[in-house]
Amino acid sequence: MATRDPAGWRLAEVWGDTVDLRHLAWSIAIGIGISVTGFFLASRWLATVVASQQLAHAYAMLAGLAGCVAAGVICARAFPPKREVTEQDTSTDPAWRREVLEELAAQPGGLGSVADLPPAVVQELKELKLYDLFVQNAQAAPSTQTQTQTAAAGRAPR
Amino acid sequence: MDPQLLNDIAVAAAMGLVGAVVFAAIGLVSGTDETTTLAPLTLLVVLLGVPPAGVFTFFLAGAVAKHMTHAVPTALLGIPGDTLATPLLQDANMLRKLGVPHIALRKMVSGAIVAAFVAVPLAVLFAVMLAPFGAAITKTAPWIFLAAALLIAYFSAGRWASVALLVPFVVVIIALQALTAKYDVKLSISYFLGIAIGPLIADLFTVIAPAGRQRMLRDQVRQFNLAPDVKGWSGYFPNPFKVMDRVQTRWTLITATISSATFVFSPVAMTVVLGELVGSRIKHAYHRLTTVLSARNGVTEATYIAEALIPLIAFGLPLSPVAAGPAAPLFNAPPRFTVDAATGQTHNLHNLLNHWEFLGYGMLAVLLAAVVSYPFAMNFARRAALFVSRRVSHEAIIATFVGLIIVISVWEGQLLGLLVILTMGLLGGLLSRNFGFNTGVQFMGYYTAVLSVPAIVKLF
Repeated sequence: MATRDPAGWRLAEVWGDTVDLRHLAWSIAIGIGISVTGFFLASRWLATVVASQQLAHAYAMLAGLAGCVAAGVICARAFPPKREVTEQDTSTDPAWRREVLEELAAQPGGLGSVADLPPAVVQELKELKLYDLFVQNAQAAPSTQTQTQTAAAGRAPR
Repeated sequence: MDPQLLNDIAVAAAMGLVGAVVFAAIGLVSGTDETTTLAPLTLLVVLLGVPPAGVFTFFLAGAVAKHMTHAVPTALLGIPGDTLATPLLQDANMLRKLGVPHIALRKMVSGAIVAAFVAVPLAVLFAVMLAPFGAAITKTAPWIFLAAALLIAYFSAGRWASVALLVPFVVVIIALQALTAKYDVKLSISYFLGIAIGPLIADLFTVIAPAGRQRMLRDQVRQFNLAPDVKGWSGYFPNPFKVMDRVQTRWTLITATISSATFVFSPVAMTVVLGELVGSRIKHAYHRLTTVLSARNGVTEATYIAEALIPLIAFGLPLSPVAAGPAAPLFNAPPRFTVDAATGQTHNLHNLLNHWEFLGYGMLAVLLAAVVSYPFAMNFARRAALFVSRRVSHEAIIATFVGLIIVISVWEGQLLGLLVILTMGLLGGLLSRNFGFNTGVQFMGYYTAVLSVPAIVKLF
């Protein structure tokens, strides 16, 4: 069977996420194998037990779908995800914050001023410890933007 | 109370609960498109003989629940939960980088629940207003479908290319129908499932070809960062009106109302356009992000509800992108529900439920989805996202969907069904990827082939 060792993986992006090509081939074989077997076995058996043929046909599909889910569970157990999930607290990452503030300032509406905010939103920003960040950046005129952003970034982590 | 009614309500409540639980779970898995999941499972429920009220509640509770939990991967991992979550990604990502993804999540989920509750009565109201024109519309259905197909094609990413592509696309469908007719087989589900899952089929063919594989190869696994969550309330069921401020509630209500009325447009387009409208009215950047997210996710709910309900109640014909795609089994699931192409005669939920039943079971569905999905997304989002991203490999999801394609197509038309689903999927997937001829246009193309083309041929 295919390897679980990451060093032997051949990674590719299929349908929006990374997979290992050998694991993918196995998964497709397992998916088709179990669901089709389930479907045909169920239709044979049900044809002899259930009186209405139409209902037997529908239940056979249910068996096939159960097969799909079973195949999914088997593949999830056999093949580990090709994702690396980290759990960093990025609220202290000044580079990301600067990037976002630049993007927001470039939007048609710009950064805006905290003076325009309803009190509830000001409260929300303060609770999230984002209030100062926006105040400092909004005060900066576009010409001095780079300078204040560095300053804000230095002050941001708390 | 009438025992029959009581029985119907019990069945509807049970089916709605099943739909809400199943689709709240499916919503967590990124890439599970609405059509590929809602359509086959609803079809199964129809074919198993569940009473009309149960079928309807199952579908709607599922759709509403999914559009709440699809916010979880979108906000916390930065990958869209499904097709309709894509327009939400950019703003959600900005809040994630500011270090407050939990705010993005809560605003989205709260917008969804508020919008869903207003969308059902509004959709029923609009449908009742349109119903008097039902007979006229049914009679001219072939031409309306043609016009809708052209309109939806033009508003897709492919613009004029999509309009022009309708011709060869429709020709392929007619050719496939002629082929299966030779063996006395008539297929419908294989076509729309093929269209829905087209991108996967196209990708699988591409990765087999050496040249295509070169383009798809990656050096390393995908990296995600799951942000920490901060619980900002006590208890199990947070009040959505406290999660959103007044401005946000107002915009969510306004956009939900607009998207409940405009039922013929693509849901993704509505989500984008109404989000822009809201964004242009909010001055401060942070407030703009959170308000647009609330309103946009509200629109994903409202537009889905309206696009399924209005055509169903008023006409019984699948006259919207949602009705033609994910909600298709409510209209057409032979032998139980049918739409006659030649006469426009219908026998489906349109004929089996009255306006009050649609309203009542619709509200029941939203209520069940709210009870299941809303507190789940609010309280357990982070743990659920971590479980899915660490335990469920993409291979496992592909295995499930490949099995699904084969079972449904073989079930509907044996080998012919399989050939049709492969052909439609490959063609549709390639056209969608290369020309922006998206699945919504393709569904309308299918109905053009089935309804409009016979009428056009009759003219000559």
